[in-house]
Amino acid sequence: MKRFDLIVIGIGLAGLTAARTAIGMGAKVLIVGRGMGALTLFGNTVDLLGEIPPETDIAEGITRWIAAHPEHPYARTGWEGIESAIAAFRGLFPPPYDFTASGQGNVLLPTGAGTMRPTWLTPVTMAAGAAMTPAETLIVGFRGFKDFQGDTVSLHLKCRGVTLSLPRYGLEGLSAPALARLMDETSFRERVGESIRQQMAGERFIGLPAVLGLREPAAVLKTLESVTGARVFEIPVLPPSIPGTRIFHRFREELIAKGADFRMGHPVSGVMVKDGRCEGINIQNPPLVAEYRADRFILATGRFLGGGLWAEMDRIIEPVFGIPVFQPEERGKWFGERFFDPEAHPIHRAGVVTDADLRPVDAAGRVVLANVRAAGSILAHHQAIEEKSREGIDIATGFLAAKRALAS
Amino acid sequence: MTKEEKPAPFTKFPDICVRCATCMAACPVSRVTPRFPGPKQAGPGAQRFRSAAEASVDDWIDLCTGCRICDTVCPAGVPISEMNLLAKAKYLDERGRSFRDWLLVRSDLFGEIAARYSKLVNPLMKKKAVRWLLDALLRIDRRRDLPAYEYPTFRRWFRTRQAPEGGGPVVAYFYGCFTNTNETDVGKAVVEVLEAHGLTVVVPPQRCCGIPRLGVGDLRGARKMGRRNVDSLLRTVRGLDIVFSSTSCGLMLRHEYGPLLHITGAEELAQHLFDICEYLLRLHEVGKPAVTFRSIPIKAAYFAPCHLRSLDMGLPALELLRLVPGLDVSLIEAECCGLGGLYGFKREKFAIAEEIGKDLKEAVARMKPDIILTDCEGCRMQIRHMTGLKVLHPVQLLRDSLERRGTAQQKGLLKRAGQACKSKNVRLVISCVRRVCLFLP
Repeated sequence: MKRFDLIVIGIGLAGLTAARTAIGMGAKVLIVGRGMGALTLFGNTVDLLGEIPPETDIAEGITRWIAAHPEHPYARTGWEGIESAIAAFRGLFPPPYDFTASGQGNVLLPTGAGTMRPTWLTPVTMAAGAAMTPAETLIVGFRGFKDFQGDTVSLHLKCRGVTLSLPRYGLEGLSAPALARLMDETSFRERVGESIRQQMAGERFIGLPAVLGLREPAAVLKTLESVTGARVFEIPVLPPSIPGTRIFHRFREELIAKGADFRMGHPVSGVMVKDGRCEGINIQNPPLVAEYRADRFILATGRFLGGGLWAEMDRIIEPVFGIPVFQPEERGKWFGERFFDPEAHPIHRAGVVTDADLRPVDAAGRVVLANVRAAGSILAHHQAIEEKSREGIDIATGFLAAKRALAS
Repeated sequence: MTKEEKPAPFTKFPDICVRCATCMAACPVSRVTPRFPGPKQAGPGAQRFRSAAEASVDDWIDLCTGCRICDTVCPAGVPISEMNLLAKAKYLDERGRSFRDWLLVRSDLFGEIAARYSKLVNPLMKKKAVRWLLDALLRIDRRRDLPAYEYPTFRRWFRTRQAPEGGGPVVAYFYGCFTNTNETDVGKAVVEVLEAHGLTVVVPPQRCCGIPRLGVGDLRGARKMGRRNVDSLLRTVRGLDIVFSSTSCGLMLRHEYGPLLHITGAEELAQHLFDICEYLLRLHEVGKPAVTFRSIPIKAAYFAPCHLRSLDMGLPALELLRLVPGLDVSLIEAECCGLGGLYGFKREKFAIAEEIGKDLKEAVARMKPDIILTDCEGCRMQIRHMTGLKVLHPVQLLRDSLERRGTAQQKGLLKRAGQACKSKNVRLVISCVRRVCLFLP
């Protein structure tokens, strides 16, 4: 039986941020993931609040947003909390593969659906996407890579598009990780760059699916830019997300180097609660159940996709601690009339309500477990998908939860 | 047929897969070859169309190495590798297994004999003609280094050695076939380190754990091996803890005997099984070090084998190694070594194994370590083959860093134990055969 200062449950961006923050404060940390978490499903860029128009200063916009949404997770962290958490995140990604904001406001980046999507921080491999103009851009897809349809993307973006045959591969199904791995090879990406150059008709920008290498994406970008003479950018594609995988690997590398303990693959199967405090958790790896104890816990298990919230027939539950979940009063009110309702479906506001210290509270506002904090998208009163605030909420609340947990 | 002999019913529901493709980001095989569709498709995707009554059509299912990384990354808890394994078993049950596969999974049987005549067998296995024959007849790839056999075997060494004055708490050791006949020093290191911690080591009767049989989808054979081990280990070690030094044997004993193979008594056995580094770390955590480590000022790279990750116990070897003063140790950032046990020995899979291993090889090249440490014999073989560096089990390095008295004396003891086993006649036979071998190309 092991004892830790802090156990983080959840291995997405919120959990990893919390674990890294705590390790940085000298704590002995265990991070428990249900698999690899959700970073390969998102994690392409860092959204803070896509709702804010690009011309608005992000600090002002979020400060106003907080005033209008006092229950939103950002109201717990404040703009200062977001700012320092984002600065810490950026510290983990030094150049050449760094994350930058292009100005004071959101930028619009092309997506794999051929739309423009607002975001705040972009990795260096996507930055040029913000500057592209349709007339000067060539969208490149790869034959056999089904997760990125270059023709559709170029049609919607009103750019010219080509689909290239890849050296060494025929028409067989290629996965994004396979392509990214090939791109890490200098000779391969040089040949790809050369075939793109032959297709160019004076374009100044080249858009490619986000598969520009797992190990050294900045070097892949550099090679492609020097061979083509154009600015190259990645466009997010269907999961598994290569940029998300890069973020996960960087966190894992850092956490293991600093001595964090990982458990991946088996979810928390039980908790030990006594006198309003959590004393430990169980992890079941059949036929064994291991026990881990800690002084503090952070719950960062996400919503439905990550397994942090669970929809039963008539209600939504939080399966680890059984913490009360804020939710529509009955199943009939979970969804709006139309699937693509511009207003978020009410179920997308469900989650765990906390006090200012990020400790979950019940309907009467009483703290449920004194040494448990919640972070990330499991928190109630946000609509991360519609607002485009997922990474910002994860990073800011993960950071704050760890600071508050260790201060207690 | 008794109850436990019945094949496990397939009860896991593929629809819990949400098709998120996280497993595709981690699968070492699908990222190097489009011939394998990846865990999402091969596991729950194809599972929806599989029927016990219909013939298997999954021609690519045999390309799964059984590393189980997909299980460790799946956010939905889909037993992907188990689905693949059962599908592979069905496919190979229908198509039949090659003589090569029959032979390779029985290395525990011929290993003892090969070790006995290692002086003869080892040079023979290096002969080009022999490798060409093995390649042509059995499709065992001639580019793969075959592991050398060692004599005396670990078991024999343990029996014939002069055991130190015991009296400490007793712990049992499951050494595994490869330690017994091909890497006896790993076993010796385990025994020495445990004894240095004041423990008395016993070696209960044991057989191959059966994981090579799982690799070729032979569930029945694996269950047979498992039943023998469970019976023997439970009988001899009731109340004792058992440590294992091979993470693949350990995974098989601890997590496959019960949940997958439904062997009676497996759950009780699992409660007593510990990885050697996990066990030593626990001793240190409860404040029973009893040993101090002397400084080893070298640069080491540690690789976490796939099956270690499936054991889901963290990285105990890395934690232990960090206790060794002066040792600069860091983790190799790579998913898999590629060998996949017997997988990488097979001619039709050699190229895949090499391609997977390339990532690890490049990671090592960037780190420039003096030595590589990893818990799995397969990984050690593959990393030696790819890098040419010295590759040890972490416990071997821990043994070397033990502060202790008669180091020279112990070395002498080992040497004597080795010499005691070679009779004059055997030496004569060996020298004759070696001369004959000289005439082979």
